[in-house]
Amino acid sequence: MNWPSEFWRRITNLFRRERFDRELEEEMRMHREIREREQREAGACGDEARYAARQRFGNELKLREESRDMWGWNWLENLSRDVRFGLRMLGKNTGVTAVAVLTIAIGIGASTTVFSWVSTVLLNPLPGASNPERVAALEMVAPDGDWKSTSYLDFRDFRDNSKLIESMTVARSMAFAAGNETNIERIWGELVSGNYFDVLGVQPAAGRFFSIAERDDAPNAHPVAVISHAYWMSRYHSDASAIGATLHINRHPFTIIGVAPENFHGSMPGEVFEIWAPATMLGQVNSGSDWMLQDRKTRMFRVLARLAPGANIEQARAEVQSIARRMAVADAATNEGMSATLLPMWKAHDGIQSPMLGPLSVLMAVCGVLLLIVCANVANLLLARATSRQKEFSVRLALGAPRSRLVRQVLTEMLLLAIGGAALGLLIASWLSDSLRWLVPVTGIPSLIRPPIDVRVLLFTVALTFGVAILAGVMPALHAGRENVNEMLKDRSRSGSSSTRSRRLRGLLVICEVSLAVIAFAGAGLFVKSFHVASAIRPGFDPKNVAIAHVSFSSAGFNLQQADSFSRRVQEQLQREPGVTAVSYSDFVPLSIGGDSWEDLQIQGYVPGPSESMKIYRTVVAPGYFDLMKIPMLAGRDFDLQDDKSRNPIQPVMIVNQEFVRRFVPTGVGIGRKVHGWGAWFTIVGVVQDIKYFHITESPIPYFYVPARQIYRPEDGMTFYVRTRGSVEQAIVAFRREAQAIDPAVPVFNTISLNESIAGSLFGQKIAASLLSVLASSALLLAAIGLYSVMAYSVAQRSNEIGIRMVLGAKPADIVRIVAREGLSFALTGLAVGSVVAIALTRLVSGMLVNVSPSDPSIYATVVAFTILIALAATAIPAWRAMRVDPMVAIRFE
Amino acid sequence: MHKDEIPPGTLHMLILRSLARNGKMHGFEIAKFIERVSSDVLRVEEGSLYPALQRMLIKGWVAAEWGATAENRRARYYHLTPLGKKQLEVEVSDFERVMGAVARVIETA
Repeated sequence: MNWPSEFWRRITNLFRRERFDRELEEEMRMHREIREREQREAGACGDEARYAARQRFGNELKLREESRDMWGWNWLENLSRDVRFGLRMLGKNTGVTAVAVLTIAIGIGASTTVFSWVSTVLLNPLPGASNPERVAALEMVAPDGDWKSTSYLDFRDFRDNSKLIESMTVARSMAFAAGNETNIERIWGELVSGNYFDVLGVQPAAGRFFSIAERDDAPNAHPVAVISHAYWMSRYHSDASAIGATLHINRHPFTIIGVAPENFHGSMPGEVFEIWAPATMLGQVNSGSDWMLQDRKTRMFRVLARLAPGANIEQARAEVQSIARRMAVADAATNEGMSATLLPMWKAHDGIQSPMLGPLSVLMAVCGVLLLIVCANVANLLLARATSRQKEFSVRLALGAPRSRLVRQVLTEMLLLAIGGAALGLLIASWLSDSLRWLVPVTGIPSLIRPPIDVRVLLFTVALTFGVAILAGVMPALHAGRENVNEMLKDRSRSGSSSTRSRRLRGLLVICEVSLAVIAFAGAGLFVKSFHVASAIRPGFDPKNVAIAHVSFSSAGFNLQQADSFSRRVQEQLQREPGVTAVSYSDFVPLSIGGDSWEDLQIQGYVPGPSESMKIYRTVVAPGYFDLMKIPMLAGRDFDLQDDKSRNPIQPVMIVNQEFVRRFVPTGVGIGRKVHGWGAWFTIVGVVQDIKYFHITESPIPYFYVPARQIYRPEDGMTFYVRTRGSVEQAIVAFRREAQAIDPAVPVFNTISLNESIAGSLFGQKIAASLLSVLASSALLLAAIGLYSVMAYSVAQRSNEIGIRMVLGAKPADIVRIVAREGLSFALTGLAVGSVVAIALTRLVSGMLVNVSPSDPSIYATVVAFTILIALAATAIPAWRAMRVDPMVAIRFE
Repeated sequence: MHKDEIPPGTLHMLILRSLARNGKMHGFEIAKFIERVSSDVLRVEEGSLYPALQRMLIKGWVAAEWGATAENRRARYYHLTPLGKKQLEVEVSDFERVMGAVARVIETA
């Protein structure tokens, strides 16, 4: 009940042990002396008196020991003795120590690295927010089950009708052109509702956040902005005068009212934002058009909700779903068939956690397998060494050490190894965890790619260290505790029961190692094959030699005419560049992240089924797009410059893909058919071949294209495509230069080659394939080392037997056969067990594989072949050594 | 002559009691006091006072400081802390409950 002060007393006295001993002795001596004098006074003679006093007092030595025990120091002293002795023993066996520490470092390093990623990406999705576990993402669910963002009007309905949600905020990520009049740069920010910081529970580092007055729904009324701590530091040198300063966002003056705290980066997990402005300012930053706030169909906001106290996410989700159902009826024109859901942040679809979830889980699992192999390997080493330390142990036992002391000694040494390995592993992890940046898909928004080795990660590593020490130490420790003194003290009783047991244990461990390695290897093989299969799928367009660049017309405040003249001039300028063969633009990049806009269509001559969704995905493109992308035009024509709004009446046109025709046009002739969308009838003027739009693995989906001059959507910006015969890098440089020359205020970003961009669509596959290969190779290598050490030891132990066999006429080949048989039997048993487990386990990841069956025979054939090869290699040296045993030496030695 | 062993667990109570009664005492005085009040019936193996005192020091029931005896010898004097006073009450009431129960068992038998 009062343990802290008790603990404190124990600790402080720990450092006064010597004084403690002295004082206790003095105290006891005085006691005895008084008693002795008393006895003498009662008539006893000197010796008698002393004897009586001693007898009454009891065994002083034992009592002193008992008194010291009370303070619990013995335990500590034993520990320090164990540690010192352990260190000395480890220092003597540098080879074993080095291998064990390195092995553990690999296991702990890999696990800690992956965990630091998991911690950053999944466990801490909203750094800087208070009680982030109470914040959930509200997402709309399309009839086909796909998730969608939320429109502002839908958000207001959810906000006003929910009781289980305490507060709700919207956020829309946007690239702003921000700065002062002279220096404009592209900065990512969020348009948010006024209560954004309250919902996330963030306090300003300076200034204030949005006031109550600034939180109404009045459009364009509050030109105020909050800036990030990093932005404050770099642009305003953390000066207080920044508060109240004017910041131009997309050419409109905003007043800076506050600074967000240093560790806060916005509401999208893993992404870093610098500016926050009220969502009601959307119209202004978007060059005067705020229809998007008034349109239920324009689903452009992320919604974050803080659960009301006492409500859990399931209840709140049910409530959100029932509100969505009511909305689907009340606003059937836009919301029919739409539902909504509430997800914990780590499951939300916006942010880097969503594409990382699968790969990180698989990585974590494989790290677990690797760690098990590490434990088995280290246990193996210790068992081998324990056998050579039999003498030491038996002497200690014979001298009266309790067996528990030996167990503790082995565990202490194991813990020392684990701590050494963990220290090295942390070093590896701190160096590797940065490499997360190579794994995060390119979204354009700066990512939080520096996973810190923080307290959580350190705790994980500490737990791992103890886990490894216990798991790897338990077998050698129990083994040491079971030594039979008599048998061992007899010289050279190698064939004793304990050494047989040790051999059997080590065989078992090596079989486990091989099985685990086979599991890791088979898993990696599946992902590698899957990646190759996926990479071989042709996307339906030619991504080679194409540069893409994102241009935000809304940040530049462009209207249709300005955007049009900008693109025309860029096209003209670039076509003069050497090597450039085509320039076009579109509002979508196939196989990239985001950009899945749809339109509700009505198709002449097609009656949709009762529950069929006619929300068809579309892209806005400029003339020349299909040619540039090398998407074959199967019928009709491309858009041309006359497909605009100049004719009266306007003649809207569209181009559809093959699948569109197959699904919706019974006659099979698409050209000339009328399609209704955006409140007008479009005529199909062309049919193009299907391409892969969202995932490389998707089956054909109906899709259509509309001309940019008829349907202009500046809010998402446009992506320019430049096909060149020369280098893509040069094309990118040229594009930036020309864009700057035409209008320096136009933010150009995400300039990248199309090849790189679509590589992003395979990134999950790629991470899984490459990292798993590395991990599986380490696993296999460790298993090979394990097998080697067991075989080498076995040969050394059996050299006497081998010598006798040779004397009796065995040929070197026979000896090799004996050794190889033992090694291979371990490997094959492990192989069989591992394959069975692997086939069972890999079913769990079949969803992440592309056109590869989890029990793909070619992979298992490779695994079998490779494992046998490795096993043979690991057995070869011991077998060769066995062959070279000199029978005379071996026998005489005995 | 047979001396009864002290019942286990009561040593703490006896020490606490002695200190509560006499204020500061050193080890020998405590032993002497217990001997006297129990008319020599309960005899502690005297040395076992010291581990017990250490335990009570850890628990914070008693505190100790060095002083001089009447004969001007250096001695460690123990005294009760407030926590020790509380502990004494607890132990006495526990003891009485147990003894009461034992007494009842003997009477009804």
